[in-house]
Amino acid sequence: MGVGNQDQTAFEFRGDWKEFFPIAASNLLLTLVTLGIYRFWATTRERRYFWSQTRFIDDTLEWTGTGKELFLGFLMAIVALILPVIGLQFLIQALILQGQTALAGALGLGFYVVLLFLAGFATFRALRYRLSRTHWHGIRGGSEDPGFRYGLSYIWKTLVGGLALGLLIPWSMTSLWADRWNQMSFGPHRFESAPEWGGLMKRFLLLYLVPVAAVILGVVAAVSSGGDPGGLGAMVGLLVLAFYVVLPLLALGYYAAFFREVVDTLSLTTINFQFTARTKEWFLLFLGNAGLFILALIAALIPISALGLFSGFTDLQPGQDPFAQNPGLIAGMVLALIIPMSLVGPFIRYRNWRFFIRNLEATGVIDLDLLTQSQTKVGSHGEGLFDALDMGAM
Amino acid sequence: MIPAWHYDGQTATRYEVYVVAQDDGLRLDLGEGRSDVAPWGDLFWIDKRDGASVFGRKGADGWRVGIPLPMTDLLVRRLPPQSRYGGLVDKFGIWPAVAGFTALSAAVVLVLWKAPDVVAPLVPMSWEQKMGDAMVGDLGGRICDGAEGQKALDALVRRIDPDAANLRVRIVNVDMVNAAALPGGQILIFRGLLQEAKNPDELAGVLGHEIGHVRNRDVMQALLRQMGLSLLLGGVGGDVGGALNSAISASYSRAAESRADDYAINLMRTANVSPLPTAGFFDRLAADERKLGKGAVAMSYMSSHPLSDERRKVFLASARKGAAYAPAVTPQQWRAIVDACANDPDVKEGDLF
Repeated sequence: MGVGNQDQTAFEFRGDWKEFFPIAASNLLLTLVTLGIYRFWATTRERRYFWSQTRFIDDTLEWTGTGKELFLGFLMAIVALILPVIGLQFLIQALILQGQTALAGALGLGFYVVLLFLAGFATFRALRYRLSRTHWHGIRGGSEDPGFRYGLSYIWKTLVGGLALGLLIPWSMTSLWADRWNQMSFGPHRFESAPEWGGLMKRFLLLYLVPVAAVILGVVAAVSSGGDPGGLGAMVGLLVLAFYVVLPLLALGYYAAFFREVVDTLSLTTINFQFTARTKEWFLLFLGNAGLFILALIAALIPISALGLFSGFTDLQPGQDPFAQNPGLIAGMVLALIIPMSLVGPFIRYRNWRFFIRNLEATGVIDLDLLTQSQTKVGSHGEGLFDALDMGAM
Repeated sequence: MIPAWHYDGQTATRYEVYVVAQDDGLRLDLGEGRSDVAPWGDLFWIDKRDGASVFGRKGADGWRVGIPLPMTDLLVRRLPPQSRYGGLVDKFGIWPAVAGFTALSAAVVLVLWKAPDVVAPLVPMSWEQKMGDAMVGDLGGRICDGAEGQKALDALVRRIDPDAANLRVRIVNVDMVNAAALPGGQILIFRGLLQEAKNPDELAGVLGHEIGHVRNRDVMQALLRQMGLSLLLGGVGGDVGGALNSAISASYSRAAESRADDYAINLMRTANVSPLPTAGFFDRLAADERKLGKGAVAMSYMSSHPLSDERRKVFLASARKGAAYAPAVTPQQWRAIVDACANDPDVKEGDLF
């Protein structure tokens, strides 16, 4: 079967936000009344929708993960990893308070290395979990590798990437991407990834040098102006512009190039993948996401300010506790804030997924008879650690 | 015979098949005389896709059959129903489930809120002492433990509470008008408070109040309550600095505060120390707060011990007319307490965290 041609793209997202809204809204309701425990099932429903609205060639993807396994993963992460980490952190701080700084420092360094390992391990396991729960034509992906080796290479590559004044970050990013994907498979086939980092250096150096240049220019402007207020103002303006506008844009430009490079050099036997989004598309994605956030903020602030005025918080006396008198109003204000703000997340994930699929392309030929079932193990639990370390962001 | 599509989970090839409802399961006619029967109990609903209901089969990874909609009544009866929210919610329906979960969550919150009152008195004092030591230590050398100052302070503590053996009252070299009770009978007096107090009787009132919190096991209660809440909010934190900070700034319930006041008043009555200076001290702090605004007094006595008029009145009212009160400590001892930090050569200065 041929993949990707002029007439039809290999990947298509045909979701509709009006169809997604009831899912997001009922997820929020159930998550609120279960004190957050439903969120694992909510994630699963979200993904089922995204996957089922994503067509690859002639059939849609299917998400077969369950809420229960995500919940189990979360519990395992808490017991096996998060509690010891918290204990260690407690110990380190207690040592600092008792003046044992050297011991605390050594422990702290060890703690950092362990945390790096966990971060790498979790990233690997999350990718493995997601592939093993993604079915297409009844066939799924996975990996034989448990990810411990990846955790170790994550430690040293991150350290080396950062140590050389951060200049080797493009190398560590691409190399870790390849380490990860080369261990993944779909059906009987291994993914093959061979990104090159040399081409990314131009954009990375630009990103790297702008803050330096901004500081130098700012100092020169300040010195040459002889300290008059106009010159100082120009310097501050230049720095603000550099750090809040130019720098994020350059970072986006670098990331767009990075993502194109790693996807364009990814293949699965006879299929090659491509990613088409350029900096401008990434920028529009983030602009839209920020817009959603602002919209939710406005939607929250209108009822809150109305409630605030009615409850007479304006004439507070010292020592009085407004919360004690108006528990109902406080609950109302909290809900007015939580509901719109919690709906932002699902819709940002919706937009991100749509962006990802719309820009993903594949070309080549698939032989369906040779695409046999994956022999990799299916773990009984989800991406708990990844979730716990809050690394789900794209 | 209903036309359907099928993946066998072995290869990605899509088969066009016919399905037939049989007593023992769903029969798939695969063509060329081959067929496969999936027992009804093994089938599970997956989703609706391109006008068909899709089912999977337990124990057969990737096995799928897609039956075009609408299905015959017979198939609808035998095949598993559509699932939407997850097992439990589907079973009861969304609104009954929401009501049930709400009730359950309310019960959990109530238990977590009330449990500390019951559990705190049961926690062995030795555990609480270990916790307190871990949290406080020597506060990075910020304790003003010069011999004279500590001796005078101990004298003050013994004067108002003869039963003070299990208390550890210390002065901290931090410019903050506050005093706090921590786990394990530890009481911290911050330097700023000593500078604000005009005489030892004022300090005695504040100290008596903190001793009240210790004896009523309020500290442990607050700690347990905070742990319960952070468990609920998912932010299980191992942040000792944060724990110490929140213990210092913890505001107890109004009932606990007024019980601690009663305790202090009792101590002072027994010790024959006048409660009037303490009332005056509250008055001055309240005036400061009015002048500086609420924001300026964060982390201070006024924020962790809300100063109400009633509190002041309780102290005022407890004074006996014509009583011959004696000062809490001698003027020399009071000087030693106030100057404890200045006279401690190796104390470190600084803010807390």
